Amino acid sequence: MKRFLLVLVILVLIGAGAYLYLNRSDSSTGTAPAIAGAPPTANVLARGEYLTKAADCAACHSVPGSGKAFAGGVPFRLPFGTIYSSNITADAATGIGSWSDDDFVRALHDGIGKGGEHLYPAFPYSSYTLLSRSDVLAIKAYLFSLPKISQPNRLNDLSFPYNQRWAIGFWNAAFFKSQRFQPDAAQSAQWNSGKYLATALGHCAECHTPRNAAFALDHSQEFSGEVLQGWRAYNITSDPVHGIGAWSDGDIASYFSTGHADGHGSASGPMAEAVENSLRFLQPPDTGALVAYLRSAPALAGKDPIAVDAKPAPALASSDYASSGDAQADAQGLKLFEGACASCHQWNGKGQQTPYASLLGARGVNDVHGSNITQVLLHGSSLRGEGANVFMPGFGNAYSNTEIAALSNYVIGHFGNKQGTVTPDDVAERRKQL
Amino acid sequence: MLSLSVNGQSYPVDVPDDMPLLWVLRDVIGLTGTKFGCGMAQCGACTVHLDGQAVRSCVLPVGAIGSRAITTIEAVGNTPSGQKIQQAWLEVDVVQCGYCQSGQIMTAAALLAHTPNPTDQDIDTAMAGNLCRCATYVRIRAAIKQAATGKAEVLQTIDSTPEGAAS
Repeated sequence: MKRFLLVLVILVLIGAGAYLYLNRSDSSTGTAPAIAGAPPTANVLARGEYLTKAADCAACHSVPGSGKAFAGGVPFRLPFGTIYSSNITADAATGIGSWSDDDFVRALHDGIGKGGEHLYPAFPYSSYTLLSRSDVLAIKAYLFSLPKISQPNRLNDLSFPYNQRWAIGFWNAAFFKSQRFQPDAAQSAQWNSGKYLATALGHCAECHTPRNAAFALDHSQEFSGEVLQGWRAYNITSDPVHGIGAWSDGDIASYFSTGHADGHGSASGPMAEAVENSLRFLQPPDTGALVAYLRSAPALAGKDPIAVDAKPAPALASSDYASSGDAQADAQGLKLFEGACASCHQWNGKGQQTPYASLLGARGVNDVHGSNITQVLLHGSSLRGEGANVFMPGFGNAYSNTEIAALSNYVIGHFGNKQGTVTPDDVAERRKQL
Repeated sequence: MLSLSVNGQSYPVDVPDDMPLLWVLRDVIGLTGTKFGCGMAQCGACTVHLDGQAVRSCVLPVGAIGSRAITTIEAVGNTPSGQKIQQAWLEVDVVQCGYCQSGQIMTAAALLAHTPNPTDQDIDTAMAGNLCRCATYVRIRAAIKQAATGKAEVLQTIDSTPEGAAS
């Protein structure tokens, strides 16, 4: 019995030691590679503004259209409940106005709040941990220069055991490492800047990298695509068929700065938000660096790979104003497209009002599951940028699940030359998400 | 300052790039023949031509137009297909309340320009995006056919004279 107790004590000590070791904080300040839009010589607020945009803080901390920048309250519907983003304005009572520099750095580097509580990894501290302390403090200075907004944080609505914050300590021990960005001397300076932009700042992997059963990023499948909140974040590896390997540098850069690349479609949903709030503000050398880094992402097919048909026969057989070549098509889908869609998208998918309406080569219309097509049909799409205010109305209130499914499958058949598999039940499921 | 070519005339307009063409036409240039319907490219009331193509002006950002020629209902009668469509519209007496009709005529004129002898299917496909709350669709189709063939279309009529009324 005595021996058993001794073994137990030793095991507990080993466990506690491992827990503490794996949760150790890296207190180094780190050095960021050169970022064209935030040179070290620039004013701290100007640097902070650029870095805040590059890190896309607004995507999660500002409710679109609310006019309350960084006051939080954006819901994240996860498989185990809903998390609401927090107020990160400098309001002392409801925001982070009382946070010291060290408090703020600890949140971004270690995922720990001012009160010592673990933050949920929906806040991408596993990416922000790579930021240099100087960049983190520039972001804080910028946030603190903005209007304070009094808006109490909304309580998360999570089921047990996910509502136990202490448990995140174990998640961190398994999946998180506090560490600053380490440049790779074997790579170019541009590549290193691109990596910092993609990982520490832009946290692309949070949507584009698959997650494991514990909802942690599976880095062995980096950037090969994932479905989150009903939207599919596409494969952005260098795979020429399933990723963006066949895109030119100019195509990728154009997608970042405008949300559209000819022959590859337009950004919608969360990616349109990323373009609108973040990517379009990057200066051309930074966009170029991001492109150079993504180019080097190892080619992976990913789960449910999408192969784009750049020359879909039914669409190519059609003209601007008349359909041809889809005799097999679902008659209901065709009728709906004729009445509601053709006047902007055209039968040959060229897009009439604006290149953003072009459907040819877009991954959405080549995905037989129709994830993003149904989302766009249900909820519409909008992208606000410099000189562009593009939108498509949502049809969720006008069409039944059967109609949305028929229309989705028609669009996949006509513009992707594939048999879509969208069912009314899929649509019902996706209606619940936004 | 943008310069727009509308109905063969050049208009300098000082408007934001993302303003829809419809607003510029109606509120800035003062061409009010083009109508606002839904504001989201779903009803067709705002249809104009851009280099001869029927487009929905309510969702077309004016900055995207460049030097392309805009034709509105005010001048579509100067084009051969527009002239034929308008004549047929009068002869068939298509219009009921009239609100959607400038859009209907613009779409029909574009159809006739690229498909001089449209079948019923061609007409239905081309006109499907133009809604008419008075349901003048039968007369619209007849007028397009009449404009294409030059031959009078016979429409089914219902004798509405009440029974027993003096004739």
